[in-house]
Amino acid sequence: MPRTQPNRITLTIDGREIEADEGTMLVDAAREGDVEIPVFCYEPKLGEPVGACRMCLVEIEGIPKLQTSCSTPVRDGMVVHTRTDQVKEAQESVVEFLLVNHPLDCPVCDKGGECPLQDISMGWGPDRNRMVDQKRHFEKPVPLSPLVAIDRERCILCYRCVRFSQEVSEDEQLQLLERGDATFVGTFDDRPYIAPFQGNITELCPVGALTSYTYRFRARPWDIEQGGSVCTLCPSQCNVSFTVRDEQVARVLARDNPEVDDGWLCDKGRYAFQAMYADDRVLGPEVTSDGHSTPASWQEAEETAAEGLASAGSRTAILVGDASNEEGYLLQRILRQALGSGDIDSRRGPGVDGDAALKLADPAISAQTSDIDTADLVIVVGTDPIQSAPSFDLRVRKAVRRNGTALAVASDRPGALEGGATEVVRFPPGGAPAFLEELAGKVKRGRAKTGLAGLIADSEQTVIVWGERIVQGAGGRAAVEALVELSEAAGLADQEGSGLIGIPDNANGRGLREVGCLPDAGPGLSPTGPGRDAGAIREGLESGELEAVVLFGVDPIRDLPDPEGWRRALEAAGHVVAFSLARNESTEFADVLLPLESHAEKDGTVTHPDGRIQRVRPSARRPGEVRPVWQVLTELAAMLGSSTGITSTPEALEAVASAVPFYAGLTDSEIGGRGVRWQERPAAKDLGTPSPDLTLYATAPGPFSPLGSGAAGLEADEASVLEPASGVGRSHTDSSGGTTPPSSVSDLPTPKDGQLLLGTYPNLWADQVVESSPALRFLVPAQRLEISGPDATRLGLSTGDEVSVRSGEESVNARVAVRAAMPEGACFLIEGTPADNGNRVAGEDGGPTLVEIGPPEVRLELVTSGGGPEGDEAA
Amino acid sequence: MSVRPEEITVVPRGPEPGGKGGAYRAFGETLRGLRTTMSQMFTKPVTIQYPEEKTPVYPRFRGRHRLHRFEDTGLEKCVGCSLCAAACPAQCIRVVAAENDPENRVSAGERYAAVYEINLARCIFCGYCELACPFDAITMGHDYEMADYNRSDLIFTKEMLLAEPIERAPLRREGE
Repeated sequence: MPRTQPNRITLTIDGREIEADEGTMLVDAAREGDVEIPVFCYEPKLGEPVGACRMCLVEIEGIPKLQTSCSTPVRDGMVVHTRTDQVKEAQESVVEFLLVNHPLDCPVCDKGGECPLQDISMGWGPDRNRMVDQKRHFEKPVPLSPLVAIDRERCILCYRCVRFSQEVSEDEQLQLLERGDATFVGTFDDRPYIAPFQGNITELCPVGALTSYTYRFRARPWDIEQGGSVCTLCPSQCNVSFTVRDEQVARVLARDNPEVDDGWLCDKGRYAFQAMYADDRVLGPEVTSDGHSTPASWQEAEETAAEGLASAGSRTAILVGDASNEEGYLLQRILRQALGSGDIDSRRGPGVDGDAALKLADPAISAQTSDIDTADLVIVVGTDPIQSAPSFDLRVRKAVRRNGTALAVASDRPGALEGGATEVVRFPPGGAPAFLEELAGKVKRGRAKTGLAGLIADSEQTVIVWGERIVQGAGGRAAVEALVELSEAAGLADQEGSGLIGIPDNANGRGLREVGCLPDAGPGLSPTGPGRDAGAIREGLESGELEAVVLFGVDPIRDLPDPEGWRRALEAAGHVVAFSLARNESTEFADVLLPLESHAEKDGTVTHPDGRIQRVRPSARRPGEVRPVWQVLTELAAMLGSSTGITSTPEALEAVASAVPFYAGLTDSEIGGRGVRWQERPAAKDLGTPSPDLTLYATAPGPFSPLGSGAAGLEADEASVLEPASGVGRSHTDSSGGTTPPSSVSDLPTPKDGQLLLGTYPNLWADQVVESSPALRFLVPAQRLEISGPDATRLGLSTGDEVSVRSGEESVNARVAVRAAMPEGACFLIEGTPADNGNRVAGEDGGPTLVEIGPPEVRLELVTSGGGPEGDEAA
Repeated sequence: MSVRPEEITVVPRGPEPGGKGGAYRAFGETLRGLRTTMSQMFTKPVTIQYPEEKTPVYPRFRGRHRLHRFEDTGLEKCVGCSLCAAACPAQCIRVVAAENDPENRVSAGERYAAVYEINLARCIFCGYCELACPFDAITMGHDYEMADYNRSDLIFTKEMLLAEPIERAPLRREGE
């Protein structure tokens, strides 16, 4: 159902004429008219008001008894009084009752100073308490979970945390136990509350009953400053507010933006700030000479990096991971303009290429995040938002719960959203393209009455949330075609509020694509000569065709398929420049290691999966020698002979805006605190116009194509060697030429006896920032092999067994987890775990592959401490 | 315009110079002034021989701060609530709180002040911190000798504030 424009009505509150939308709650209407009504339990984010705390009682003319203004919708001509004696008496009684059992330990309480109960007691409460009896006592503070402490004496039973758990995150773990004055908040059997969004309850709690262990007693409101920014730990790009004390981030709060995150934040975004101050953070530039990495001055490090890159020239490649739009733009400009190479990739494997991105970016078939709220039908294809972009999970749940939206989930791996889904479709790993083609065909024929196609036919407003994984691998091109076809058949372009939202793998995956971090597309998705994609870069480095590589915020040995291949590639590389937030396996190979800024220190822009450009703003001090990265990149560019003329962050944004035609004219002030969707700006019509920057690159010393003439610095025979090597990256470009029909989707490998089809999936917690954050370390997953019941029986396995998963020469150990609803013949491993990384056995392009399950491998572990006799004993 | 008699003010003038009046002006008045001086020669001097002698202070004199412990348990009264820092108009107090370890308590409540610093170079001795303190943990002492050679030495840490100060300044006696 499309959004409707509500009627404006007029009412009188305390003698003031106030205009409000029809149907809004009285308390909100009053706030709009600058009349404050105190509330405790009312929180619109939590859904329907419950009227539990009675704090918001007001007098409405014509109704004899006081009414709760949080649950009374406004009517035209309503006359309301909030300051009469009757109301005042009621308010004072409510506060007095709340304080009957509330300990008055504000100086000790962590909420002191930012406590709604304090404020309301001061503003609306009686000035003294008549309570003389014992207050109720509990053991305090006790851990509700490893992240949250609960003090039940302070709890005023407003139900906010319980409602969050029951109705928003739907983990349904928090309950009110016991009855009457013995009621308390807890979990069944006192089990720890483990859920990915639990941190939100500390923010919801209107008293100091729920506190985060990471912030307990760290600071008072007058010790701190709040700095608004955007969390760039996943593609959801939730708006956050950093609490900064002594120039260090002490806490992360959600910053309400209904268009992006709805005011919620996942625990990774909330607690992983600790990684900014972890021991493994790179604090200054380092240069490796004679096998030893030593701290160096910025000048020295930049010169060494530039020298190596200049001598490699067009035989340089860049891998981009976590980067802002400005950083991504500068990186590809250095590569294309100064070095004359086109080998840059920001994706995990061959996926959305420039042409596909251009098709999918069409504003007509793009939805915005808040469209999910009002949609009739949401289809989630090939992604489990809880793992890849958690705030989308809450968004979809909200639509289903409050709006009755029909939800269809189509995925290879059973996901978290399926419980509330009307329709669940399961396909084997890599089967998404075939599924999409079939669905598009059914919808196009328009005869389906049941199933997913029937739902699409019945729905007016449809939002399709798809994961980048489905367009990766063998059938990727076909999947893109099918998506476009499906959106045409379903008429997404004609209906307002309908469209596609693609969730990329990288936090700023969409922004990086649009500023030109793709092997075959420059800024603005303008086609350039084909370059190598990530897999081909690895092969190129290994075979010596590429000499230098720049790793920017990416740890290929962990994050990308074929870690062993990457290890060999980085070893073979002549010159490795690594920009990294923290030390990792890949930075060990760096000749020059340069520090990155965290998202609390960076100044730049990022692009949300729905096209909203948002600002990441600095709020904390950069530790050590860390410098703004855009500065470092402009200096590198100047050293390599292509001065960018950028001297400030607004200029960097200006450069991006002038290079990307559909970002044209973008400024910091236009983006503001809430971001702006480029699809809604007039410049959006320039989608598809070639970037003016391309002329810059054309004058660069070499053409972009590594297959190009000798000017690229390649010998003719080298070029011919290169062709098969980069075949993986090239195949989609070829298929767009029409040589391969898109129906190559049925080429899935068929499992032989004892083999299973392996798919890998990203786990929210399998990430270095999680390991570096002491508070979150308990969530770091061990590798587990998800397998269906029949397969488990056939292979004689049960949950908890240790097995090895072998593909070719690689194998990883994992514990078996038998799951219902798994597709038969398939199994799943987690990508990027600290040990037994699933990427090691994943297909080379990150796609599905065949594996054999065997007894666990005996692990040869390096005994790092001491060795010798003690080491033997330990073994 | 005529002048009415009640409007006329007669200005008395001193004796004309010379003669008896002149002599009085020269010596009499001088002697009258010297009487005060002379009488002081036979009273106790009010000068205090600082630094050998200290100025006595009033009981409510606001000198250098002190932090207190409970006399019975020895625990710190301060719970690190930071209200003093909030009240301080000179922003010279810095408190970093931490959670008490039940095995090894520092203060009575859940939290304690891990860092408590007062920058006496900035302090204006207004006593608001004392007023704000909900636990009477900080009071203004009587010590006023705080000069130092170094600015950083004027930052008093929790240990310095908790230590029993050497009472240099005597308290002013009743009626003094």
